[in-house]
Amino acid sequence: MDTTLDSPSTPETTTNLEPTIIATSRDDLESLKKSQTAIETLSSILPSPLPPSLSSSKNPAFSLLHDSQVSSQISTFLRQPNSGAGDNHLCRWLYDTFQSSDTNLQLVVLRFLPIIAGVYLSRVALHKPLAGFEAVLLALYAHETTSRNGQSITVNIPDLSHSSIYHETTKSTTKNCSTELNLAVISASLEPHGTVRSTRRARIVGVALELYFSKISQMPVGSKIDFCEFCVVWAGQNGDMYKDGPDEPSEVSNDGSGGGSGDGGNGGDDGKSERKEEGRIPLPWELLQPILRILGHCLMGPNKDNELHEAAWGACRSLYARSLHDVNPKAILATGSLLRLVKMAMESNDDFDPTELSKENVLTQ
Amino acid sequence: MLNSEEEELIIHGRSEYEKGNVEGTLSAFDGIDLHAAVQELQPLAEKQPSKKGRPSNESVHSSSQQAASLVLEALYLKAKSLQKLGRVTEAADECKSVLDAVEKIFYHGIADVLVDNKLQEIVSGAVELLPELWKLDGRNHEAMSAYRRALLSQWNLDNDCCARIQKGFASFLLYSGVEVGPPSLAVQIDGSYVPRNNLEEAILLLMILMRKFYLGKTKWDPSVIEHLTFALSLCSQTSVLAKQLEEIMPGVFNRVNRWKAMALCYNGAGQNKVALNLLRKSLHKHEKPDDLTSLLLAAKICSEDALLAAEGVGYAQRAILHAQGLNEHLKGVGLCMLGLCLGKLAKVSSSDHERSRLQTDALKSLDEAIVLEPNNFDLIFELGVQYAERWNLNAALRYAKQFIDATGGSILKGWRLLALILSAQQRFSEAEVVTDAALDETAKWEQGPLLRMKAKLKISQSIPMGAIETYRYLLALVQAQRKSFGPLRNLPQIEDDKVNEFEVWHGLAKLYSRLSHWKDAEICLGKAKELNEYSAETLHTEGIIGEAQGDMNKALAAFINALLLEPSHVPSKILIGGVLSKMGSKVSPVARCLLSDALKIEPTNRMAWYYLGLVHRDDGRISDAIDCFQAASMLEESDPIESFCSIF
Repeated sequence: MDTTLDSPSTPETTTNLEPTIIATSRDDLESLKKSQTAIETLSSILPSPLPPSLSSSKNPAFSLLHDSQVSSQISTFLRQPNSGAGDNHLCRWLYDTFQSSDTNLQLVVLRFLPIIAGVYLSRVALHKPLAGFEAVLLALYAHETTSRNGQSITVNIPDLSHSSIYHETTKSTTKNCSTELNLAVISASLEPHGTVRSTRRARIVGVALELYFSKISQMPVGSKIDFCEFCVVWAGQNGDMYKDGPDEPSEVSNDGSGGGSGDGGNGGDDGKSERKEEGRIPLPWELLQPILRILGHCLMGPNKDNELHEAAWGACRSLYARSLHDVNPKAILATGSLLRLVKMAMESNDDFDPTELSKENVLTQ
Repeated sequence: MLNSEEEELIIHGRSEYEKGNVEGTLSAFDGIDLHAAVQELQPLAEKQPSKKGRPSNESVHSSSQQAASLVLEALYLKAKSLQKLGRVTEAADECKSVLDAVEKIFYHGIADVLVDNKLQEIVSGAVELLPELWKLDGRNHEAMSAYRRALLSQWNLDNDCCARIQKGFASFLLYSGVEVGPPSLAVQIDGSYVPRNNLEEAILLLMILMRKFYLGKTKWDPSVIEHLTFALSLCSQTSVLAKQLEEIMPGVFNRVNRWKAMALCYNGAGQNKVALNLLRKSLHKHEKPDDLTSLLLAAKICSEDALLAAEGVGYAQRAILHAQGLNEHLKGVGLCMLGLCLGKLAKVSSSDHERSRLQTDALKSLDEAIVLEPNNFDLIFELGVQYAERWNLNAALRYAKQFIDATGGSILKGWRLLALILSAQQRFSEAEVVTDAALDETAKWEQGPLLRMKAKLKISQSIPMGAIETYRYLLALVQAQRKSFGPLRNLPQIEDDKVNEFEVWHGLAKLYSRLSHWKDAEICLGKAKELNEYSAETLHTEGIIGEAQGDMNKALAAFINALLLEPSHVPSKILIGGVLSKMGSKVSPVARCLLSDALKIEPTNRMAWYYLGLVHRDDGRISDAIDCFQAASMLEESDPIESFCSIF
């Protein structure tokens, strides 16, 4: 047997994620101008002035996306009691900014999607004005509808009896192409919507979350943490007893506020769980599926961040508890497997590094 | 070539590395221009005459290969040292240069005899390390390329190493959130499966890993099945997952956990019978009889089938019993399942007394459950249905409204329940307002059931032209839907919301027969029959038309055929009873028998009571007749336009 080392031919597309725009072309100048206009408008909405570094930055949209001070101001605004109304200036700003069709500015709007979706869905049952939030969500939905051309997203579930780029089958090479692969629809085709009809609400938010997931590697950690916190609210269920994995609930003493007592009701949870109960929402699959994909990233993604990991873990436990309450098999399987993966990662303490060379020479020295 | 001084530096660097002094290693290697050394090594393998032929100048080769080995080791150790110092970008660059060098130097491959362990170890290490370094550096696209390069080029990796890389890549594809795009055309082999997106590629890799496990090529790694579970559940392909679980070799995966996971899979794929059989095994007294998830799932499956409901009651009671301590939060769910199973059981009970007891118990369980689970949407809905079915329409109305409020009107069946309850209260115009409101909140493809209800409400309000108009719109919708969903019609995920064309034609046939438009009625009936030839429903309508036209034999034949198709078809039983009751006292015992039978199945059917009253009257049993008429008149005020169980 020979070891042939073929030339590496993997010219995959690599998108340029460089954070600075060097304003050379007209497009770049225009996008710079758009960003500056957006920042000016924003500063007239927010109470305290924006840091001057923003507008002088080489890539203002990027700076805006990652400026934690501005983010927290906007977040506070979005969480105010009447924030979602149709005449709300911030919603208007988010809508206009997204419609600017500048990709960097659109990322800024997406950064706040967890809070918009979170506050919106939890408030639906409270009969509050929400037209402002709905306008933003519909803009995201419409964007995704256009970019997908309304098509559904499908996945061909592989069948190992066909050989693939990663494996060969020993069977005869005469391929029976008619053997059908399992076709799974992971996101159904999209109809245009001009308003949020209540039975389409979950779908519209779900599609907006799909868009968020497709950009999630560019989202700041804070945005993902917001998302995880809302998952707990939406689940409306305390999942602390599943800290030791989904299979056996366990008493976990966590600073005395151990959560074995179940969901609210027992009065011992300093009113926090009561607030959670309030935001509990129906979780149909069209909404839950994108939630779980985002959560998978937050929990198992390549860039580890402790605070995010904690938040995602908590969200996953809550959603697991919720899926038990709904006796929802797919959700039990998906959240349960995430919890088991976390448990395995925590239990494997071995320092075995497979990329370390064996130390045969140590003995000779 | 390296001079002896450089060789010594490398050996020194290696020993410093092994002592853990990575700074020392780096400073030792600083004295050598490793990249220049790589350049010099380049021409090495090109002289090699053939891959298989044993070269005569073996010693020359092996000495230059030793030098190559040394340089590569130095580069690799440099990468490792930089990694340990947290300088991942530089580490990745060095690591990549190891692989580039290997590919250049051994462009034509290396004969097996010449591959020493050390060299292979360096190559494998670098192949595995590179994607990890790019990930640490946050360079996702480089990481993806490194993974593909590792898996699609020939590096002679051992099985374990290859499995680790495959798992790493699968997990990167699933969780990184970066869509990597399909592999380049260069690696695509004709006729082989090429994944088009992250999910496909991840699932493919995980399935290959699963196969390696059961072929015994690599050691079992429990995390692989968990990644696969996550990926396949997201795609709703739990039946594929069940097959994967089934293929796991015994001894590595706890069998009860496997049964439970498979039961969840099959339930998720709608194969409840298989799921229940698996749960029966896992809940056996020698296995894990107290497992709450399994008990609740089993109870849920049983609650959907009247013949299994009794078994379900047992599971639900066990679930309630074991919902203690840390599991107490699930007690309400257990009570809810108990209520549902009892309610289902009541439907098939043979005696009135038992039925009424079961219904009371069912409502009691659900009422207890709602105290524990005040925000459980499913439970609120079920309470509405159960109260409606027990004719406690005010309570039912309250829950239906609460359901719409709590869900923000987002779930269609809530609207339908509310409209049906209002129609049962004979508040037809309000029911129509609700239906219209629901239509406003629905996209057109899901409007079918609402439009059907609206047509029926128009009929109830004696606005037949309005009803016909609505049916016409419904038909247009059906036809549009057939066109736009044409190619994907086989997908079960899309099937749910579709309007049933057969129902539309049949509804129209019934409407026209009510209006005595016999010709139109027969045309519509013909259309319905084209779609479903053997249906008790159409035969029933055919009988009604025959009866109305005075053709009693035709009517009877149609009703009897309907009964033959569906022995428990209540409307046909009633109408046979009705026809027979007019044929004199000779056949009245048969009529009475059929009507009593119908009442056993549907005790609240007023038409059955009415005809039974007629039979009693004609036979001279006046007091029995009075009772029946009384029952019929009481019930008259409370018929919903569609049965409450039609909502599911």
